[in-house]
Order: sequence, then C-alpha cells, then structure tokens
Amino acid sequence: MATLFKKDWFGLLIVVIVSGLAIAAVKPAFLSHFNLYVLMVSTSYMLIIALAQMIIIAIGQMNLSVGAIGGLVAISFSGLMEVHQISVPVAVLIGLVIGMMCGFLNGYITAKSGISAFIITLATLYIFKGINLGITEAEPFYNIPETVKNFGNAKLGNTPIPFLIVIPIIITFLMWVFMNRTETGRHMLAYGNSVQSAELIGISSSKVVITAHVISGFLAATAGILVVCRLQLGTPNIGDSWLLPSFAAPVIGGAILAGGKVDVIATALGVLIVVIISQALVIFKIDPFFVQIFLGVMILLAVLVNRYREYKQEALRKIFNSE
Amino acid sequence: MNKKIPNFIFTNQFGLLCLVLIFIVIFSTVTDGFTSRFNIFALSRVIAIDIMIGLAMMVVILTGGLNLALGAIGVCAAMFGGWCMEVLEIPIIPSIFLMLGMGSFLGWINGFITVKTGVHSFIVTLATMSIYFGFMTMLTEAEAFRRLPELFTDFGSAKLFNKYISPLLLVSVATCFVLFYVFRFTDIGRKLIAAGANPEAAELSGISVNTMFIYCHILSGFLGALAAILLTTRIGAAIPSMAGQLGMDWLLPAFLAPVIGGTLLSGGKLSVFGTMLGAVLVTLLTNGLYLLDVGEFWIRFFLGIILLLAVLLDRTREYFTLKNVIVS
Amino acid sequence: MSEFCLEISSANKSFPGVKALDQASFRLRKGSIHALLGENGAGKSTLIKIITGVHKQDSGKLFINGKEETLNNPNDATKFGISVVHQERNLIRRFSVGENLMLNNLPKTALGLIDYDEITIKSKKWLEIMDLDIDPKTVVSELTVAKMQLCEIAKALSLRAKILLLDEPTSSLSPQESENLFALLKKIVRDEGVSIVFVSHKLEEVFNICDDVTVLRDGENACTSEDIKNLDRQKLVRLMIGRDEQIVKSARKIENAKDIILALKNVKTELGHKNIDLELNRSEIIGLYGLVGAGRTELMKCLIGQDKITGGDVIINGKKVTINSPKTALEKFKIGYISEDRKKEGLILIHNVLDNTSITVWSQIRKAFGFVTDGMIANKVDSYIRQLEVKTPSNYQLISNLSGGNQQKISVAKWLAAGTDILIIDEPTVGIDIKTKAYLHELIIKLADNGTSIILISSDMPEMISLADKILVMKDFQVNGIVENDHDYDAVSSKIMEFIHT
Repeated sequence: MATLFKKDWFGLLIVVIVSGLAIAAVKPAFLSHFNLYVLMVSTSYMLIIALAQMIIIAIGQMNLSVGAIGGLVAISFSGLMEVHQISVPVAVLIGLVIGMMCGFLNGYITAKSGISAFIITLATLYIFKGINLGITEAEPFYNIPETVKNFGNAKLGNTPIPFLIVIPIIITFLMWVFMNRTETGRHMLAYGNSVQSAELIGISSSKVVITAHVISGFLAATAGILVVCRLQLGTPNIGDSWLLPSFAAPVIGGAILAGGKVDVIATALGVLIVVIISQALVIFKIDPFFVQIFLGVMILLAVLVNRYREYKQEALRKIFNSE
Repeated sequence: MNKKIPNFIFTNQFGLLCLVLIFIVIFSTVTDGFTSRFNIFALSRVIAIDIMIGLAMMVVILTGGLNLALGAIGVCAAMFGGWCMEVLEIPIIPSIFLMLGMGSFLGWINGFITVKTGVHSFIVTLATMSIYFGFMTMLTEAEAFRRLPELFTDFGSAKLFNKYISPLLLVSVATCFVLFYVFRFTDIGRKLIAAGANPEAAELSGISVNTMFIYCHILSGFLGALAAILLTTRIGAAIPSMAGQLGMDWLLPAFLAPVIGGTLLSGGKLSVFGTMLGAVLVTLLTNGLYLLDVGEFWIRFFLGIILLLAVLLDRTREYFTLKNVIVS
Repeated sequence: MSEFCLEISSANKSFPGVKALDQASFRLRKGSIHALLGENGAGKSTLIKIITGVHKQDSGKLFINGKEETLNNPNDATKFGISVVHQERNLIRRFSVGENLMLNNLPKTALGLIDYDEITIKSKKWLEIMDLDIDPKTVVSELTVAKMQLCEIAKALSLRAKILLLDEPTSSLSPQESENLFALLKKIVRDEGVSIVFVSHKLEEVFNICDDVTVLRDGENACTSEDIKNLDRQKLVRLMIGRDEQIVKSARKIENAKDIILALKNVKTELGHKNIDLELNRSEIIGLYGLVGAGRTELMKCLIGQDKITGGDVIINGKKVTINSPKTALEKFKIGYISEDRKKEGLILIHNVLDNTSITVWSQIRKAFGFVTDGMIANKVDSYIRQLEVKTPSNYQLISNLSGGNQQKISVAKWLAAGTDILIIDEPTVGIDIKTKAYLHELIIKLADNGTSIILISSDMPEMISLADKILVMKDFQVNGIVENDHDYDAVSSKIMEFIHT
C-alpha cells in the first residue's frame, strides 16, 4: 500500500476524484449522463495529443508541430474521402502514413542536423500548416461518410461512454507497455536521461529520435482523424489549439522537460484534470477565455513543482550518501 | 590589428545584402508591379513591422532563450493603448508611453519568472503567452478599438519620399541604429552579449547575469509593444486578432529575421543589421512570390522551408565560428 | 599464445595541427594491472581512444591475444572484450541497477517484452562478483558514487570484458572506497582472468596496486611496460616530465607581522562547510590543498557570493562584510576568482581575445551613457596581453583558436586588468604545458610580491609547496589542519598527507 502512495499518479488520481466530486456537489449536472459523455469525448483526443507530446518530452525534446500534423492529416483524411471517393479504411491508413512521414521528417532532420527539435518543429509547423492551407484554401471538407459520422457519435450501449474513447484507451495501454516493457521504449528513456551515457552504451541516437518522432506523428494523425469523426467536418484549423494542452497534460503528470522522466498514467490523469476543469469553467459559466489563463498557470505551476521535487530528491540523496 | 572593412565581404550581412539586391532585380524584371509606388510603399510598412518583431525576438535569443509571448505582449500593449486613447481619451504621446510601458512590464514578468525559477524561457513564455492573451481577451471582451485619434492613424498611412516610403520604416531603421549603438558601443550592451554567450563565465567575471537577462526580456517586451504600435497605426485600429491566435502569427517572422541575419540560437552572438536585412529579405520573398501568383496559402509553406534552411545555415555557421574561419 | 592480451606497436595518430601519438607502444600482460601515466596532453587519452575503438591509428598495429586486429568502432572493441569505465559516471540514474547492467542486451519474454525477473537473476550474479550486496531493483540514484562505479565495472564484466580500462577511477572516491576498489580489482584479476589498464595521476596508487607501467610524454613512450619494481617515485616523475620535480624555493620570507586583509571566522555555508577559519595577510599566498570533493572550490565560490554563506563572519580589512554576488566581490571588495574550468567558467569561447580580457573592466572604462569602444578597451588591456606573452595573431582572434596555455593566460589577464586586491586562483596549471606552467608560477609569486593577496587552490603537491606561504588542508568541507610552508618537500608533504588521512 505504501508503494501505491509513492507513485506519481496516485496523488493526481486523488485530485481528479476530489475535484470531480467537489464540482458535482455544487452542480450535480456535472455527473449527468450527458456531461460525462462530453467529458469523455474531449478526453479521447486530448489523451492522444498529450501522448504525442509526451513521447517527445521523454527524449528531452519538444514537438511544436503536433497540431499542424493533426490538422494536415485531418484534412487529408476528409479530403481523400470527399474528393477522391477513397474508402474509409484506406483513407485512415493513408492519413496515418502521412502522420508518420511528417514525424519522420521531424525526427530525421533533428537527428542528422543536431539542431534543436524546437526550431525544427517550429519550421515544420509552418510547412505542414502551409500545405494544409494550400490544399484546402481555408475551406473545410463537408462531405464526411455516414459511417465516420456515426462512429463519432456512437455510444457503448446505454452508457455515457463514447465509441470514440475506446481507441485512445487502447493506445494509452499500448504506450504504457511501450515505455515500460519494451527495449526501444527503455532506450528512449535512457537517451532522454543522458544522451552521452546512452551513446556510450551503444544506443543509436538516430534510431531513438526518429522512432520517437514517427510515433508522435502517428499519434497526432490518430487524434486528427478522431476529431474529424467527432466534428463531422474536415476543417483546416483542426490542431491550431493543441500546443498548450499537449504540454500541460504531461507536465501536470510529472514529466521533466529535460527528458528521461515521463509517466503514461500520470499524463492520462493530467488530461483528465485539464478536461474536468475546462468543463467546470463552462458549467460555472466562467468566461471561456479563462481556460487559456488557467492552462498557462497550470503549466507554470506544474513545471515548478516538478523541479522542486527533483531538487528535493537530489538533496535527500546527497545527505543520505554522505553518511 | 584591426582590418575590419575588407572583411565585411566575408560576413553574413554582406551575403544577405547581395541576396536582397539579387531578389530585387529578379522580382523587378519578372513581375508586374513590384517596383510600383504602391507596392514599395506597402512593402515598406510590412518590413517596418517585421524588422521590429525580429529585433524583439533577437534580444531574447541573445540570452539563449525564446519569447513565445511576443505576439501576445504586442496585442496586449496595443489593446491597452487603444483603451487609453479611445476610452480614457489620453492624448497620443502619453498613450504611446503607456503602451511601451505595458510591453516592458509584461516582458519584465517573463524575465523575472525565468531567472527566479530557473525554468527555461520557452516554457515560461509558452505559459505567459496564454495568460496574457487570456487576460486581454477577457478584459476587452474581444472587442476592437476602431475609433483611434486621427493623428495616430494618419501616421500609419503617411507617405514620404515621393510617396514611396512609410515613416514606419524610418522608425524601425532608427531603432536598428540605436540597438546597434547599444550593443557595440556601450558597456551594458557588451555585458548583455557576454551574459548570453556564457552565463557562468560572465557571472564569475562580475556581471550580474540575472539582471542582464531580465533587461533583455524587458527590451523584448518594449520592442514588441513598439511593433504593435506600428501595426496599430497601419491598420488604423487596435484589434485583438492582429497577431493571430495567442499572438502566434508573429512567431515565424520573429524567428526568421534574426536567424537568417546571423544571430546564433545558442546565444551570445547577434547582428542587428543582419536581423534588419533578414526581415527585408523575407518580406521581399513573400511579396515577390505573391505577385508571381504563387497563392497566398502556399506562402506559409515557403516561409517554413526558409526557416528550416536558415537554421541549417545557422548550425553550419556555429560550427565554423567555433572551428577555424579566422578573420584577422 | 602471446603472454600479452593487448599490444599496440608503433602507433601514430595526428589531428589537425597536432601529432598526438608518435610511434607509441603499449603491451598489456595477461592477468596484470598496468598503469598508463603521462601529463595532460601526453597522449594518454588518444591511446585509450584507440584501444576502445573510438579512433583508429594512422599507422601502427594492434594485437589482441597475439592476433592482429582492426577496431573500427567501440562495438568492435566490446566484441573483443575491451571495456572502459570512465571518470564520470555513465549509468542512467533513474533506472534500476539491474536494468543498467543489462541495458545493451535486455532479456525478453516470448512476447518480446522485457523480462524483469531475468534481469534481476542475471545481474545479481555480476553484482556478487563485485561484492555488491545490492538488490538489482534499486534505483541507481540512491547509490553512492563509489557503488555506482562498482556497478559499471560489474557491467563491463557482464559484457565478457577481459581487458578493462579504468580512467582516473579514484577521483571521486574516499580513501576507504579506494581501498575497497583496489581489493576488488585484485580479485577480478585473480578470479575472472581480467587484465586492467589503470590510468591515474596519483602515483601512490600506482605503486600500491600496479605491476607494470607505461609512461607517455609528448606523444612518445618515456618508458614501455616497465616492471614497477624497477622504479621509484622520483624516477617515475622524471619519466613523466622529463626532468626532476622542481620545487621552486621562492625567496619570499614569511612575514611574521600580521596584516590581515581577509579573515573567515567560523564560517558555515549552504553547501555544507563547517567551522571554516582562515586568515589571509596582505601579499601572502595561502594554499588550499585537498582531494577532489574536499570542498575547496565550493568554499571560494561561497566567498565570492556565488553560493551562500549561512553562518560565521567574513571580515575584510577589519570590517564585517556580506558578499552576495561575484559582481559585489569584484566591484566593492576587489576580489577576483580565476576559475578551474576555464572553458566553461573562465572564458567565452565564441568571443575574441579583446572581449574576453576586458570583460571585468567595461564598467571601469566607460564614459558617459555607457560609451565604450574597442579602442578604449585595447588601451586598457593591451599591456596585460603583452605582459603575459600571449601568442595570438591579433586581438580579434577567437579564444577557441588559442592553445590551452594561451587560453589560461587570458583568463588570468582579465583579472590582472581588473586590478584585484585579493585573487583566488583555482587549479591554474591543469592541462597546461610545462613552459607556461613555470611562467604562471613566476607570475603568481610576482603578483604576491607586488601586493596582491592570493588564495591558491591546487591538487598538485609540488606546485603547492613551491608557491604557498602556508597551506590549509581541507577534507569533507572542513579545514583539517594548517601547515606552515618552509618549502621542504618531504617534510611539508608528509604533514599535509597526515592531515588528509586523519
């Protein structure tokens, strides 16, 4: 039981439960069938967006093009179906491949040039967004096949659980397995902890960086496709607002931006916290622009708290070891 | 021994100058209307603002950091000024000072948080970007100020030099000269550069690095506000979306100009006139492509490619600075 | 079968501008511990990099167990059983010991997932060989540095290393931990058939556990695989520096009259110092001697205000003062600090000679509105650059293009230009060529004679005994003892060592 308390995500779980209950106590509608459904829908793509950034934070980098990739795939997905009559499964496949290629571009240039991923993804952000706008000319794709729309709307039986969230949950599980139980995942974290040590051990930096970015691109693509299902449209501004939440959730989940320390479950809980509080703002009729202020403050606080904890642990270790 | 003039030929700035001239020649011959009075005037206004934005980011890149909140600061300053002039009816000159003060203040917050917490300015300004923008939107309820004093808006549409050049450009170029003077001929400018190049060494040599970094952020906010003032006079109104969502529209020109111009992303090395030429080059390219009917939606794509090439160049340049290209 | 498990014959290696190895040879006997010695810049690290496959020699042969081989990369070296344990730790601190040990080659289950139970079982075996009673599931960050190092050795063994290179292995260890390490090294040589290359600056250790010695000097062999029984300290030093150790018996008289410019009374710091008492007289040179980790640099950084002093008094010229930043230290109290790590803390590599030398004086020479030009700067600092005989084609040469010795001279010049009353000099001659080293020693004495009071931090015993008027011996962030220096090497060095070992 004591080990449970020490886990990063336990504290977050408490926060989620307590805040959820507290809000419900004041506004019972918060836990209504409908509201829970809305919460889970938001969580579904937020989760994947957060994981797309989390894996890059794991290797000590940042991916500013998460939203741009998601947006590009979203319009490609819808465009292929509307304009070229491509079947849904094939369109999904092509969309995912596009995402992976975008990720590959990011990873390859970062790995080979040694330039910080921040700047590379800032440039590709504009490149991908540019392609997006070039294709759509700022006009959305409206004709989405019925199957896709239904998928976006369906629920599991009589529960408030949307179909939409099933895939993200599976992906979250797979990511957990990847980061904790696979060699590539562990090598990525090793690299994030210390590039020098990892290279000396014989871990290939290029392989780690490129793989991480490809996965990030894949996840961003998935999120883009899910959003199209949900919105029933392929609009060019999908992804424009992803940057902040993509950082907020992992950071609230205890991630250290220098790399080497991320937690899948804590990130998921971070997503929940962001979604719950955003939703609460709506329910309490607080100005929606406040969400942005809130997100910004949360990021700052979370980063500070994480650093402080690292600092404390390091200090404790010093005292412990000098005995 | 000081043999500086002949070596100008090898510098980055000279290369840029050549590129600018080459593109001017190309676009003048290939397109219709590039050299028209109308176009050059329009260009001069865009260049003026891009130069200012580039300078504002440059001073933070100098510290090895980033100011993602630049656009947000600009918009906040502009809306604040709009409110002062339109609602409080404060006269223009004091309003301008207030706007600059607001920009400096918001920049100070960024700098203060960055140095006191030790968190990288990327994350700090990522957070403050949304905080500033959020507050601004809340307070203004996303309403624009469209009834600004005529004298103010006239400045933006004024035409000088036989109607070719906007006075906005003169403001920007004058700012370049001032900054050049500061960084080359004052002790504080040198200290800022030293602090950015190697904070540990600078600190141990008696420079208060934290103070220097805060100054850089204040200056960045100040210049951002100045850019916003120029933009507001040009538009003729203070509009919350003038820099895009969260002010992010400014980020691309803000990075492109300094990086192309020779300011190292790792900090400690900058070029004021390089930034100026970088802004000119990017605006020229954008304008030329637009006149060539490339389609406005593809411009962003091209700019992204240019940024990519510029940083690859930056990397090569950094490599050679540390290696062996001796200019002596 | 050759009696040598590793042999390098007549290796040459050049880099742009410098010949690192000139016909260098090396022979490692099976089952021996072989010391590789040489001053900084002698070619040791190049030889090590060739052995570990990081570099390839330009010419010359490499033999492993008598057979000629080519190492193209570190992986090749590992395949041949060559492993290296570096000076800095290279474990992933957030991972467990077991995972670190097996990180190259994680055992997997049928599904391709990592088998953590296997990791525990397999790594336990290697930990036991190193007498490490640690649960493999322990997170590395919870171990002491000494234990981390032993884990790295265990890992090398697990990779079937038969040739183990240890680079400055005791630089972060306490004497106890060092003794423990040596016992284990002897054990694995005996029981696991490992041969060891031992790189160290500490001659006492070399005589303690090594069987053979190879000394490199200026890229060449000063001696090759010499049996250690044929050598003593003096002979070894002569081989390393090409002449006898020089103890400069300075003509400085120890003034008995006290003129205390700086005093520390019962000082405590946030970094862990306790009960620090120190008295520095005008024109005096005080030495701070100690092993790595004694807290000397840390103490000086607290003195100049980089880190905090939490208790006790700092007294300058009879008045209690608080120094809260290096800026205050310099501008208010004229205290300067020449850093031990000149590349990271002493110089700005991407700037030129002029900017680096003048960084401390910009505030001094500026005119109205902060106006400062290169010309004004050159006027002020040129004389110091000339005085120190810095070899540079021009004032605008980038610092990164100067040699180590000239770089060090610039990092000194900037403090001369600043005109300090108290100068703290931290390891001034590490990695510096012999000629510059002698020059800097003369300079330090001259400075003191001309009125600057100096605190000298050095781990170089001969240097310390040459220069200091009195020597404070520090250990574990406290002052263990004070030795008055009459420049008699044997007497003074043994008194110092006594204080180190209590």
